[in-house]
Amino acid sequence: MTRESRLGELEELVLLSVLRLGERADGGSVRDELASEAGRSVSVSTVYVTLMRLEEKGFATSWKGEPTPERGGKARRMYAVTEEGVGALEAVRAVRDHLWSGVDAASEAAGG
Amino acid sequence: MLPPTDRGAAILGDLHEEFLARASIDERAARSWFRREAFGVGLRYWRRARRYRREPVALDGRTIQRGSWEGTVDVITRNVRYAVRRLAKNPMFTLVAVLSLGLGIGANTAMFSLVNATIIRDTPYDRPEELVDVFERAEGFTHGTLSYPDYEDFVEGTTDVFAAVGGTQLALVPLDSDDGAEMLFGEAVTGNYFSILGLEAARGRMISEEDHVAPGAHPVVVLSHDFWVSHFGADPEAVGRELRIGGRAYDVIGVAPEEFSGSVRGIEPAAYFPIMMIDQLNNSTTRILEGRGNQSFFGKARLLPGLGVSQAEAAADRVSARLRRDHPDYWGADKAFVFERTEDVIMNPMIDRFIVPAAGMIMAVVGLVLLIACANLASFLLARAADRRKEIAVRLAMGARRRALVAQLLTETVILAGLGGVLGVIVASQALALLLAADLPLPFPITLDLSLDRTVLGFSLVVSVGAGLLFGLAPALQSTNPDVAPTLRDETAGGGRARGAFLRDALVVGQVAVSVVLLVAAGLFLRSLDASRGIDPGFGDAPIGMVQVVVPADRYSEEEGRAYVRELTGRLSGLSGVTSVGVVDNVPLEQLNNQSVRVNVDGIDPPVGRDYHLVDYAEIDDGFFETVGIPVVAGRGFEPMDRPGTEPVVLVNEEFARRFFPGVDPVGRTVSINDDQARVIGVSADHKVRMLGEAPRPFVYRSYEQRYSSFVWLVARTTGDADRLVVEMMAEARALDPDMVIVAAKTMERHLAILLLGRELGAMVVGGFALLALLLASIGLYGVVSFAVARRAREVGIRLSLGADPRSVIRMLTGGGMRLVLVGSVLGLLFAAAAAQLLSRLLYGVPPLDVPTFVGVPLVLGLVALLASWIPARRVTRIDPVGALRAE
Repeated sequence: MTRESRLGELEELVLLSVLRLGERADGGSVRDELASEAGRSVSVSTVYVTLMRLEEKGFATSWKGEPTPERGGKARRMYAVTEEGVGALEAVRAVRDHLWSGVDAASEAAGG
Repeated sequence: MLPPTDRGAAILGDLHEEFLARASIDERAARSWFRREAFGVGLRYWRRARRYRREPVALDGRTIQRGSWEGTVDVITRNVRYAVRRLAKNPMFTLVAVLSLGLGIGANTAMFSLVNATIIRDTPYDRPEELVDVFERAEGFTHGTLSYPDYEDFVEGTTDVFAAVGGTQLALVPLDSDDGAEMLFGEAVTGNYFSILGLEAARGRMISEEDHVAPGAHPVVVLSHDFWVSHFGADPEAVGRELRIGGRAYDVIGVAPEEFSGSVRGIEPAAYFPIMMIDQLNNSTTRILEGRGNQSFFGKARLLPGLGVSQAEAAADRVSARLRRDHPDYWGADKAFVFERTEDVIMNPMIDRFIVPAAGMIMAVVGLVLLIACANLASFLLARAADRRKEIAVRLAMGARRRALVAQLLTETVILAGLGGVLGVIVASQALALLLAADLPLPFPITLDLSLDRTVLGFSLVVSVGAGLLFGLAPALQSTNPDVAPTLRDETAGGGRARGAFLRDALVVGQVAVSVVLLVAAGLFLRSLDASRGIDPGFGDAPIGMVQVVVPADRYSEEEGRAYVRELTGRLSGLSGVTSVGVVDNVPLEQLNNQSVRVNVDGIDPPVGRDYHLVDYAEIDDGFFETVGIPVVAGRGFEPMDRPGTEPVVLVNEEFARRFFPGVDPVGRTVSINDDQARVIGVSADHKVRMLGEAPRPFVYRSYEQRYSSFVWLVARTTGDADRLVVEMMAEARALDPDMVIVAAKTMERHLAILLLGRELGAMVVGGFALLALLLASIGLYGVVSFAVARRAREVGIRLSLGADPRSVIRMLTGGGMRLVLVGSVLGLLFAAAAAQLLSRLLYGVPPLDVPTFVGVPLVLGLVALLASWIPARRVTRIDPVGALRAE
């Protein structure tokens, strides 16, 4: 596993948000999702930089959306998770589950 | 800064959308949020783009480690490029900053070159720590020169402590050339002198023991390197040729090493001769080498290895005791040999006592000027820091490391300082060239090597970079203060005091205070100069020409010498415009030549420890008094009847009469002069003898007719132009004898001008630097007020739109500047009062707390400051109230 294909914590959260939001995923909604569901308040730039990094790693993909008047005539950029992205998320989850199972057993033994 | 794709557009869209949402709640907070986010986005993209452009880490696998050498160079290059771009963007700021620093550093470099040339520059001697200078301490002299017989006794009595003792004597020698004689400085040295110093000839050989056998028998010369270049065109064949001096041929035996420029700093001899030739070189019949009273020999000795000065002193004390016993006429009870380490001596310890404090004072003055220039730099930087605080705050918020930001800001300062340093070196070299070209009425030609050597350039470099770092650090630290929240909360439009304003105000207060100190010092020097100018020397208040001739002793007997002088006097009297001509062997107030005689008067006890009084004297003819305008107040002056063979007669001045004949008429009484009886025939009015500021000194006039001298000044008073008269006088002297040696020629005005030279130079230098300080401080004040105007544009806009009188607004802004000036002035006056006490020894006729100076300086400064703050304050009238409000 090379350095680039590993997921950072913020990357993991952003990627999960994109996955949860589905077709509605754009920069703004990801920020809102992070704030409301993960309790993480991040700046616009942070979100976009993270999304860009995810695209570079091949975990996310993006396309141009529809312009709207409340956006000053600017188009949205919509995001979706790629197969590699899903794979990376699952890999992270597998590692965590594995580690947690050890912890659960230990805590059960300790509590037992 | 945003990526120019629709990705950038999407981000802007997001921002816009959220801004509208936020604005519906609190527009002000929304604006602030928008600005922060937009900056953040832009910066991050920019940094990302740069990283990808510059650090192809992931692309080609080559890694540049953070902190590695390459990485550091990369960072520095980037910082420099960034700084240069920023400086180029603000040409006015850059220009003023560089000019300020350039003037400050230039002043320091110039003065440091002087100090370097006089005090610091090394001598090229071998093992200099073993060398000592030998002096004689006597009445009135702590470090006098030796006589040659004293030197010989000293050598004999100190063989157990010194490896060798030698010495040198200065001689002004006439070099015969096609167009008359040229006077050169030469040194006459003992045969062992150069081996003691460890100096080897650049060509041929130096003077050595074989040139030190019999008086008058060694007509050889070693050329100084500079003279070899200037007079022999650096001809490799110069050795073996000859030099004609005073009608005698000297074989050139060698060329001295280039790095040796003579034994006495400031006097660079053209050539070196054996001391055995001193009488021939001096054109004298007095046999200097045998005269114990002729003290003009500089002794130098090399200690035996491992011995210290204290052992040498014990040995020298034994010799002193013997000399006091054997030669009580010359060796009074208080006379003794003394030493100084050669490394500790600059010119002569007695002169050094003045040189070192003077140098210290000048360096302090220019240091203060530089301080003001640096304060300007710091002040400008703080103002700029205020401008870019937003950018820096955002970068800090984005996680930029503070150290990196400070390094970047300092790079800019150091570049400014470096440019200032380059300008400073140019300013300094121009100023020094001007100084060297100035026609100063110096008593002898002073040669100082003022080239910008490594020491000087190193000094400028250290000063420049040091100033840049020191004065750039505070603004850099302040503007990168991690407490960024207040800045992000947007204060551009606010009326509150910006951070940094206090520091800038403090800098202006400091600048004003320093300027006041310098201006007061300059004022005191000017007042002192003015007071000195008011001193009546007691003679010479008319256009007078003076020419000094040396009647060659080998061609003229005493009788022929008298005849020549008499004939020349007659010819000069015949020149048009000349009303009177006189002869004198030594013009009073000739600072380098004070001569005295031993005087005894019945009933007046000599000072303790001596059996005679020392009194200054001159030999004059019957025309001297009338020519220079000294009145005879009792008895008579010299007359033609006072001739050799008649009763020796003298005139005394009023102070002499008061001191030696209190309450008695001295005319007709006898005095003993150098153990010979002489009758007092008259009393002349007092005049200054050694210095303008002195209290009246006793003085004796002896008759030139009765006592011949081959060195004479001819003085002539004219109703016309003195400068032209001097030229005519030289022509007459040569017409009578084409080979006559003219040692010096000048007007009386110039002769007396030397006396004020020190004060004039002091007043000029300190005054010049004080004005420079005032200018720099004004620039600083101007900057502060301009900045205040810009910072308060919104507030002023509101005031104006509410109908405030622009004049009252100008007054308010000017008043802000003037408050700083007031505080600075009060502080400055306190410091100046302390500094004036230190200067009091250098002042004449002015109390250190001179009221006109202490009142005048703040007034002048106040006026200049008023102008410097009024000009930028006036600009508020150009503020467009609506525009200023909309700046939000």
